[in-house]
Order: sequence, then C-alpha cells, then structure tokens
Amino acid sequence: MAQRITIDPITRLEGHGKIEIFLNEEGDVANTYFQIPELRGFERFCVGRPVEEMPLLTNRICGVCPEAHHMAAAKAADAVYHIDPPRTAKLLRELLYSAFYVTDHTTHFYALGGPDFVLGPDAPVADRNILGVIHKVGLEIAGKVIQARKYGHTVVEMIGGRKVHPCTSIPGGLTKGITEEQRKEIEEMGKWAVEFAQFSLKLFNDVVLGNKAYVDLILGDIYTHRTYYMGTVDENNKVNFYDGKVRVVNPDGKEFIKYAPKDYAEHIAEHVEPWTYLKFPYLKKIGWKGFVDGNDSGIYMATPLSRLNASDGMATPRAQEEYERFYSTLGGKPVHQRLATHWARLIELLYAAERWVELATDPEVTSPNFHAIPTEKPTEGVGVVEAPRGTLTHHYTTDERGVLTKVNLIVGTTNNYAPMSMSINKAASSLIKKGTVVTEGMLNMVEMAFRAYDPCFGCATHSLPGQMPLQVTIHDAQGNPVKVLRQFC
Amino acid sequence: MMLKAIRLRCCDNFVEMKILVIGLGNPILGDDGVGWKVAEAVSKFLTSTPCLLQKSDGNKIEVDCASLGGLSLMERMIGYERVILIDSMETGGNTVGSVRVFPLAALENPRFGHSASTHDTSLMTALQTAQALGMDVPSRVHVVSIEAKNVYDFSESLSPEVERAVPIAAQKVLQILKEEPI
Repeated sequence: MAQRITIDPITRLEGHGKIEIFLNEEGDVANTYFQIPELRGFERFCVGRPVEEMPLLTNRICGVCPEAHHMAAAKAADAVYHIDPPRTAKLLRELLYSAFYVTDHTTHFYALGGPDFVLGPDAPVADRNILGVIHKVGLEIAGKVIQARKYGHTVVEMIGGRKVHPCTSIPGGLTKGITEEQRKEIEEMGKWAVEFAQFSLKLFNDVVLGNKAYVDLILGDIYTHRTYYMGTVDENNKVNFYDGKVRVVNPDGKEFIKYAPKDYAEHIAEHVEPWTYLKFPYLKKIGWKGFVDGNDSGIYMATPLSRLNASDGMATPRAQEEYERFYSTLGGKPVHQRLATHWARLIELLYAAERWVELATDPEVTSPNFHAIPTEKPTEGVGVVEAPRGTLTHHYTTDERGVLTKVNLIVGTTNNYAPMSMSINKAASSLIKKGTVVTEGMLNMVEMAFRAYDPCFGCATHSLPGQMPLQVTIHDAQGNPVKVLRQFC
Repeated sequence: MMLKAIRLRCCDNFVEMKILVIGLGNPILGDDGVGWKVAEAVSKFLTSTPCLLQKSDGNKIEVDCASLGGLSLMERMIGYERVILIDSMETGGNTVGSVRVFPLAALENPRFGHSASTHDTSLMTALQTAQALGMDVPSRVHVVSIEAKNVYDFSESLSPEVERAVPIAAQKVLQILKEEPI
C-alpha cells in the first residue's frame, strides 16, 4: 500500500531543485515530486517602475538566459506603447538573438546534455562534464565550443551594448545600430558558426546515432510521452525564435491552435499543486486532467523538440535538410521521444547560425533607422519570444505615464513543469523496481529525463556550499529518506 | 542605479600583475546581491585611496560586478593572474552576515554559490578546461563569502546583518590585495 506523503510547505523552498522519489511497501515507485525553487515578488518589485526599465530588469531574473528576457521585455514594451519598431531594429534584435541561441544551444549540448551520450549515462558524475568530453573526443572540440561562445558573446555585445546582459532594446527599437565594418565581422563569425553547427550535427550523428544502445535509449518507452507541443512560427509555419504566432499541435501532430501572443491568456491557464509554489501551465480549452499523456490532457511541452513538432519546417536550407532527416529517421511527425530533444536542439543550432548569416547580410541591417519614437499613450502589451528552453511570455499593464501597474510572466521552464514531472516519474518508475539496487547511473538516467528539457535553474545557483543544485532523495514506504544523491544538473 | 557595472583601474602605469575583483550575484534579489555591494565598497575605497596598495603597486586592479557562473565566469577571468570572487553564501548553519575567506581550490565541492552555472558547469571544471586549452586563466583565485538570509525575494535591499558585513568583507578583500594575513 502506498503511503500518503505530505511535504511540509516550509521545507519546500530549499535553494536547489529536488526530486523526491517515494517507494511503496513493495519497493516500487509510488510517486515522484520534482520541485524547482521559485523566486518571489518580481511583480511587486516591478510595479511602480517605468516600463522601459523592464528590458534591463528582467534580464536579471535569471543568469541563464538574460537575452531572452531582454527581448520579450522589449517586445512587450513596444506593445505597451503601440509602436512597431522599424525593420532594421527587428533585424538587429533577431540577429543578436540568433547569436545568443548559438551560444546557448552549444553550451547545453557540450557541457550538459552531450556528456550523457559521449561518456555514457553510467559514467562517474565527476567525469560527466565538458572536461570528460575533451578526454573522450579530443581537445579540439573544447576549443570550438569556446570559440562559438566567444563569437556569440561578441555579437551580443556589438548590438546589445554589453556581453550577456544586453541593454540597448527600448520601446520602439534600439538605442544604437551597427557599422558596415561590424556587419562584416558579424557575417564572418556567422559563417564560422554555420560550419560549427554542421560539425556538431555530424558529431551527434557519429557518436549518438552511430551507437545502437543510444538509439534504443532514445527510442525507448522510458523517455516517451504523447503530449501537445508549442512553438512560435512565421507566416509559413516555419520555426522562428524572435517573432510570429504561437502554434500548438496535438499529440497526432495536427494543428490545435495558432494564436497571436497578445491572446495567450485565452489559451493558457495554470494549475496549482499543494506541494509546490510553481504553477503548471496547461491548455485552457482541453483542461487540466492530471499528470497524464494524450489528446484529452491539456499538458503541453515547449522545447526545441516541441518547436520542430509544432512547425512545418525550418526557414533556412541546411536546417531544413536536417529537419527532414530528423523526422524520416525517427518515423515521422510528431516525435514524442524526449531524448530526441538533444538532436532537435542541434538542428535549431544550425538554423540559428544560418539565420545569423541571413540577417547579417540583409541590406537594411546597417541602416540608421533603428528606432521609432513612441507617440501613443501607453496601456497594455504582451511580448513573446522563444527562449531556448520554451515559449517566454511577458505581459505588462501601465498607467498613462508608462508606469507599471501589473506584470505577468510565463517563463520557458514553467511551460515544461508538468511534462518534466511526468518524465521524471516515468523514468523513475521504469528504472527503480522492487529488489533493484539503486545506482548513481540509474539516478542519472532519471535526471536525463529532465535534462533533455534544459530546465532553467537560474535561481538554484544559491546552493549550499559543498552541495549541488539538484538533490535526488529516495524515501521508503514510511517516508524515511534511504538514499540521497546530490547532483549537478 | 545598481545595474551599472563598476570598473576601476589602479596604478595604470604598472602592468606586472593583473588582478580582478568580481562581486557575484543578482543585484535585485536581496542578500544575493551582497557581492555587488562589497565590490562597490572596494571600488570606492580604491578610488579614494589610489596609492594605498603600496606593497602591490606594480599591480593593475580591476573591480567589476557580474551575474555569471561556470564557463561565462571563467571567460571573464581570462587575462588575469589573480582573481578575488565575492559571493553570498547560504549554509543555514553559519551566523547571517559572517564573512569567510578561502582559496577556490580549497572548496570541497567546487560547485559553489554563483561560481557554478546551472546551465553548464562548475567554475573549477571551466578553469581546468581553459587550462587544457592553454588559455590565460588565473592561477590564484580567492573567495570572500558572506552568509546570506534572504535570497528568494526580489529586492534591492540587504538584510541588516548582511548590510553590516559589507565593510568587513570589503576589508578582507583589501587585505588579500595587500597580501596581509587574514
């Protein structure tokens, strides 16, 4: 008989992600809880400030993807002022964003997700990092990773005014443009990034797809869920990170809905569970049916895999080829196997690099027309971008002076809270059985279930010294902890 | 405004050793931003007393504030021979506001506070990666940590105990710079 577990609300705010696995009397998994610490009071902190501060403030919410918050905030501020920025401003913002994507996806693959495959899920935790990848595959790869990051940072700094935390987007556009000399430099770096992305896809092909055990792991039931998928698409239903409409497809791959960002509240609702402060977004028209798969459950996913599933293709030629190879290899659309997200991420990496070059070679990108002065009375606005780890929504309301009166954010990782929780539960239930000895490798395979989502634990950096941001605890049927693994996710 | 990064160069005529002091953390997340406040205090002190560091007046000191970790923090440290990191710490066991100083290498677990990034890797792994690549990263890294209390509520203010620790931590940084016993 499974024991009923109550988690004390006071203890549920510890400074790191937690996976709690509860076993029943038989020793099988009775339930799992995945907890992400939530930072509080951001809305209260913002109210009373001018809306144009938001692109600067929101990129401090999290140290992982400040560029995404900067862009969503800038777009929401545009909407608040009812201003459509000039084309050059949009080109530059998307160019910055594409370079950021190259940096971010590269880092995830080589430092976080990749080591599970390059070194194997059972490799000692101390080796499952970028150093381990170097030892296994060679030093040259690390040099390329550092170079990709450097180029990405350089473009962000050129357009965004500073590295990592850009500061140039304001309502109506940007505070500065780029020179022809800078444009040429950006173009050259972009061409290098395209080659690097192709190299990364080849590496994935050789190391992962060339290994039957890994292919079986990816295609296995442990890491498979049939849910709805969300992603932003352009007018041709191709993936776009910066702008477009939000499209959701059902588990059969058919379009369920396509909505303008401003209408998000009509389509997305949030479910509350008593064991966590973080909410679980779901599709309003389907409803919350619990942590279950299928067409009747409103749970959706928003990740690189979701974006590919929710689109009709990629807008750049090489990425489109890879998109087609992805689906023909994995048996058509949609792909439900969560570990395929790593492959999808690399296809997005190639798209981002190609888009980087496309935007850098647009004749208008160096135009001095990078800002339009807002003239209308500010009211309310929504800004949406695709953050690397999910659709990011910023919604602001202001008074007639442009001073914020209401702020609502749905961040990338939050979209995926329910599917991540399900993935962890399924992996744990599949791997931990009565009589099995729970090994580190096994728990790492549970973690792989959520690592594919690349969850943003920006707030979890407040770890205790000597401890890591993620803790996995296994409890027996009486609720006593019997095994604790602290893991760097 | 707290978001402004601080840069200060001392004794620019001498470049024998480049030293970087970085306040880490989130400046709008309560005590989490204490590293920034200490760095600002150090910067202010060095500005008002430019020739204080007589023992190390061949040095070039830069003070900065950052919300970085892992690979990004390592990348920020390239080109410096010595680095001092100032960061909040949350053990729950130490007195709030207590200040500790230790070399980065002495950490039992290098995935400490903001030095690690949840998105990529620990600072130690990042530095080892850089060393393997022959990159110019510092051989000496000290950490000055301040026990924090409130790191989950957005605020630009520090808890009173943590606020009181700012000059103490700043003094520790100056002692390290002067290579005095701590």
